[in-house]
Amino acid sequence: MTRLPGSYPLALLIALFALVPVGVLFALASDTAQLFDTHNLKVLANTLALMGLTVLGSVLIGVPLALLTAYAYIPWRKFWLIVFAAPLAMPSYIGAFTLYAAFGPGGEINNLTGIPTPAFYGLPGAALVMTLYTYPFVLLTTRASLLSLDASLVNAARTLGMSLGMSLWKVVLPRVVNGIAAGALLAALYTLSDFGTPAIMRLDTFTRVIYVEYNAFGLSQAAMLSLQLLVIVALVLFLESRVKVTRERPGRSLTLWPSRWRSGLMLAASAPVPLLSIALPLGIFGLWLVREGAAGFELSYAWNSTYASFLAAIVAVVLAVPVAHAAISGRAGRLMERVTYFGFGVPGIVMGTALVYVGLQLPFLYQTLGLLVLAYVLRFLPLAVGSVRSSAESLDASLVKAARLLGASPREAFTRVTLPLTLRGMIAGAALVFLEAMRELPATLLLGPTGFETLATYLWRVYEAGYFGRAAVPGLLLVLMSGLGLALMLSGERRSEFEVTKSGPK
Amino acid sequence: MQRRTFLQTLAGAGILGSLPLARALAAGATALSVDDLPPLEGELTLYLGRGEGGLYENVLEAIKKRNPKFTLNIRRGVTAALANTIVAEAKAGVRRADIFWAVDSGAIGLVNDAGLARPLPADLTGQLKEGFRYDNWSPVTGRIRTLPYNTQKLSADKIPDSVMALPDSGLSIGWAPAYASFQSFITAMRLLEGEKATAEWLKAMNKRGKNYAGELGVVMAVERGEVDVGFANHYYTLRLKAGKPDAKVDLAFSKNDAGCLVNASGILALSEGALPINFIRYLLTREVQSYLASEAYEIPLVAGVSPPEGLPPLASISPPQMDLTRLADLRPTLDLMRSVGVL
Repeated sequence: MTRLPGSYPLALLIALFALVPVGVLFALASDTAQLFDTHNLKVLANTLALMGLTVLGSVLIGVPLALLTAYAYIPWRKFWLIVFAAPLAMPSYIGAFTLYAAFGPGGEINNLTGIPTPAFYGLPGAALVMTLYTYPFVLLTTRASLLSLDASLVNAARTLGMSLGMSLWKVVLPRVVNGIAAGALLAALYTLSDFGTPAIMRLDTFTRVIYVEYNAFGLSQAAMLSLQLLVIVALVLFLESRVKVTRERPGRSLTLWPSRWRSGLMLAASAPVPLLSIALPLGIFGLWLVREGAAGFELSYAWNSTYASFLAAIVAVVLAVPVAHAAISGRAGRLMERVTYFGFGVPGIVMGTALVYVGLQLPFLYQTLGLLVLAYVLRFLPLAVGSVRSSAESLDASLVKAARLLGASPREAFTRVTLPLTLRGMIAGAALVFLEAMRELPATLLLGPTGFETLATYLWRVYEAGYFGRAAVPGLLLVLMSGLGLALMLSGERRSEFEVTKSGPK
Repeated sequence: MQRRTFLQTLAGAGILGSLPLARALAAGATALSVDDLPPLEGELTLYLGRGEGGLYENVLEAIKKRNPKFTLNIRRGVTAALANTIVAEAKAGVRRADIFWAVDSGAIGLVNDAGLARPLPADLTGQLKEGFRYDNWSPVTGRIRTLPYNTQKLSADKIPDSVMALPDSGLSIGWAPAYASFQSFITAMRLLEGEKATAEWLKAMNKRGKNYAGELGVVMAVERGEVDVGFANHYYTLRLKAGKPDAKVDLAFSKNDAGCLVNASGILALSEGALPINFIRYLLTREVQSYLASEAYEIPLVAGVSPPEGLPPLASISPPQMDLTRLADLRPTLDLMRSVGVL
């Protein structure tokens, strides 16, 4: 007799809960029969091309940075990790806009230095911006997987004469391919649902068609088109679920001690990434700040952003654990897990409106902080699920069985074996939800308590009005508060390092 | 007007308003002063479509400061999203907003068509300029469609008087077809010139047009010389020039066609009672209107307040006559733009 995995009922409940806003979309779309037009095939091609290039770019940047921050003992390693992860908290439309304002003939760099720079626009421009603001998905999920790998295989390969680079390529990366895929999936879904970046880069994508409908008061049409977008989402979800890894026992992770100049070289090689994604927007806004001055900002916005995002991160991870567990336990569980991803592929403003309908069914919660956190969790649950799952997936189940055989209760086996071993995945998941919630806009505007202003809503306000100088301070605070939040979460990793080394197979 | 002096004027006893002459004038067609208005008492929730970077904020702050017994809760958001939220709330039998202030009249039309707007008293709508008086909503400030052009590449007389003649002018053009204001402009053209002429015009323009995400982007592109001329609401150019006085961009206007349409932001009351109405009255005062004109470069719509600096008086521009609520009829416009491949 086979018993159903214990996580199934809970995972099913959470999956159904995550499907509610998609259900609302169906109800809203029932008023229209508008179908995606065939003359929009070019739009479809643009969308797929942008998604493909962004995934490629975010893997090319995210994986080396994950190797660097997970294995290399460089000075200030936690600091660098935070710097490399921070672009996730910056709204990508801000990046797109400042890149446009900085480069090209007549751009700010050209004006200040007289050096002609190429202009960024179209598919290459949009793919660059999307890559810069989505690679941390890959970085964080891959790093969590890397840290739970046992180094002894690499050491064996090295003893047998394989070069370091070759052994990373042939021995390490194939074992974390699920972590990379989990991050790439999130990057792909973010690209599908983002509107601002392709619009500023003048690339015609599916989301633009949806936004035009929405802003022309065609809510029903926008909902219908969003549902059609979910076909692509489903395809991406299917592809990612094909990625499999072998299960293995955890162990002490690899550490590399690069020489001083090598560390310097590696950091210098990765510097353009944070320079373009964080320093450039802050610099451009700073320039406008000097030019026109700023007013009207309150520090409480930073606090609002941070604690709402923090609450969302915690709740999302707590809900993600049973879903991730179910996903590993069987095919039905895998389906439940896949279902939670759908909301992340729907354009934010359409999802925000669907969530208003959900929230109105809970009048006691409507427009409270509680509902806002719930909305964040509904939208960003896949971020937590993906990283918890990918770091738990490669664990050998025999460890838990051994603990049970030695007399541990299921609860004890979970808290003493499974939890410490998946803690890194949970922290990575919490970090992803936290950063993504920091930059979330539509749900914050529509569902937060009336008058609840965050850094992201303030940035949007001044950006919309063209007062870019006023974006400098909140932009900087967005990076700083994200850094603080990340530092706090990453300090939790120490606990798992301690436990693994003490009780790990040595 | 500087922000501080504005706050003082509005919050303290207004200097002009205390003169009997001003009060007498106020009874006529000119704008009222805040001193003529009853104090606001109680609590209101305002849904504000776009914040305009703190300037509306300053107005709302000043109103709150002047009325200590008045509490104002504000929710900001994308105009269409707030309109959809108001409709969703009404469907669920919930009402959170007492007032809705929207950046474009289309959103006002959506809420009004859902039967949610309360009628406004005639003495309030009567303060507005002719052509801007509506039963259930009130325009607050206006904006005009303009043709920003690059001053280094051409002079104003190279730009045709009629927007319909632009395709034959040989100029390169920046536009933002996905932008709501542009779509309102095409709607006006459709109503004024007919479907066929508009479709022909769009087709011809599409060969010269370069797409941008928004009209601020259009103005920046004109300033950088990426294109010769653009289509944009007037205030983007004026604000860009305020931050960058040597900007290579200036405004041209077409004559008596959709190209110089005056559109308006609007406000409506969702709950009954005197308080929402009196709040709307505050926005139509001389002080608020002239502040929004001088600082946000918006066009005042009550009589007796001068337009923003850098903009010729409305009388010399000759905008077309248009019922603004008709501009909410966007569906045929989108279909038309799609059928010619512009959108």
